Amino acid sequence: MTSSTLTRAFQLPAEPSRTDADLAIPFSRLLRVEYGKATDTRAARWLLAMVAVTTIALMMAPILSPTSIEQSYAGYLSYAAMGLTILLPVVSILTLTSEWSQRTVLTTFTQESRRIRVINAKVTVSLLLAVGGAVFGGLVTAAGLGVAAASGRELEANLSPGVLVGYLLYVLLNVLMGVAFGALLHNSAAAIVLIFALPIGFALLGRVSTAVAEWIDSTTTFNWLLTGDSAGHLPQILVSVALWVAVPLAAGLLRTVRREIN
Amino acid sequence: MITTTALTKSYGTTPVVRDVSLHCEPGTITGFLGPNGAGKSTTLKMIVGLARPDHGSSIINGRPFVELPNPTRVVGTLLDPSAMHPGRTGRATLTIAARMAGVPTTGVAHLLDLVGLGEAADRRVGGYSLGMRQRLGIAQTLVGEPKVLILDEPANGLDPEGIAWMRALLRDFADRGGTVLLSSHLLHEVQATVDHLVVISQGAVVASGPLAQLLASSSLQLRTTDPEALGRALRAARIDYVAGPDQTFTVEVLDGRVTAEMVARVALERRIILTELRQSDSTGLEQLFFSLTAVKTAQPQEAAA
Repeated sequence: MTSSTLTRAFQLPAEPSRTDADLAIPFSRLLRVEYGKATDTRAARWLLAMVAVTTIALMMAPILSPTSIEQSYAGYLSYAAMGLTILLPVVSILTLTSEWSQRTVLTTFTQESRRIRVINAKVTVSLLLAVGGAVFGGLVTAAGLGVAAASGRELEANLSPGVLVGYLLYVLLNVLMGVAFGALLHNSAAAIVLIFALPIGFALLGRVSTAVAEWIDSTTTFNWLLTGDSAGHLPQILVSVALWVAVPLAAGLLRTVRREIN
Repeated sequence: MITTTALTKSYGTTPVVRDVSLHCEPGTITGFLGPNGAGKSTTLKMIVGLARPDHGSSIINGRPFVELPNPTRVVGTLLDPSAMHPGRTGRATLTIAARMAGVPTTGVAHLLDLVGLGEAADRRVGGYSLGMRQRLGIAQTLVGEPKVLILDEPANGLDPEGIAWMRALLRDFADRGGTVLLSSHLLHEVQATVDHLVVISQGAVVASGPLAQLLASSSLQLRTTDPEALGRALRAARIDYVAGPDQTFTVEVLDGRVTAEMVARVALERRIILTELRQSDSTGLEQLFFSLTAVKTAQPQEAAA
């Protein structure tokens, strides 16, 4: 490398008219960068493809079991929701944890030292992916219903705004749970294990204690959103949201902002 | 410009950085030198807001780092070249940095060529050698066209050619009015690169100043055909000396109060032949480094004070 190439290569502005250096990074830019980071690697794309595959695979269940599974619009939609939320929370976990695993926080937090803004962008990206996933799930449901209708089945058209809101909340809450675990643990493996182990733990403990089964078991409480029973179980749902989403997310934001990076 | 004032930090009861005050002027390259574990990285992390000092402060171009609205437009930071996502290409890595800084991404290809990664731009970073990551990291620091560079062990993993390249790049950056602070535990790497030195040992600054001053020789080495006559002459001139083997003498320069010219005149007046008169060899940065760090290691009670 000769010095002449160096000279041409990058210019230090002689006298700064660099007003943009005095402007805070707009949130829209953070959002765009974080969206890119969440989706631009081969691993991320595979994972998103797997989300689609599992959603489609679960949609096969009501199609292939017309007698044992309720044949209704809401019933089909709930299978899309379950398919989506197997792996979509893992996507959000990785969005929050991978920078700690790869230690790229060293770079990211020197690009924007107000860490809360970076985390807000990551949370927003996760929610956008969740909404995108929910829309995709809706399309898969429509296709599933189309297949079922084409086979001459009687389908109960019971989609109400309440059902749609419950579906969207179910997907968002599951994704936020992944976000919260990721934000708190800063460790992909630990957060993923936890999010898959919890329902198993709930199932075991729920047999012993109805308090666990009805108040703490987010699998059960979130499920009420899908089955349209949320109105009667609002306190239980709120308690489990506080326990598995709000508290770990708040603690995770605090930890992220305060953590020293070595 | 980088200024730190009495940066101090402990992990538990272990002091890691003690009262580190640095001052880096525009147009200069400051080497932050010390053995591994001396507190260099922790100090740099405190400067860029990744670690919190127990007390003390640091200012970059007039502001604490954490108050810079768009930091990479002011400071390029490279703390660990391994801290890159292995699944992204070099080009993608720099594109993210450019987007974050808010500069056109069209400059990315140019930067990749600048650091010699033009060919490897579309390969994933996971397949890069440490030296290539180091080059990519240096490119990343330049993305926002900053005025200040903070580099932790930038020569690690670079081959001699790479070190020469980095030296030219940093010199060029400083000559345009940029400020560079780089750390190293390898003395010969920085000796030819930096013009100011701050030597740190066990968390505290043990020497700092312009390179030339720190490297100034502390003694003269003489050799003569007539040691007895030279000894008499030096005694008469009240110049202290130590006679060594093979007709050699060592004379302390005592901060410039004794010069080679004085010694040469003494010999000339007595018509003594000098076969050697030079700054002694014990002037290398290496010796400075080892003497400073060795003294501290030998006196842990002072270090704890």
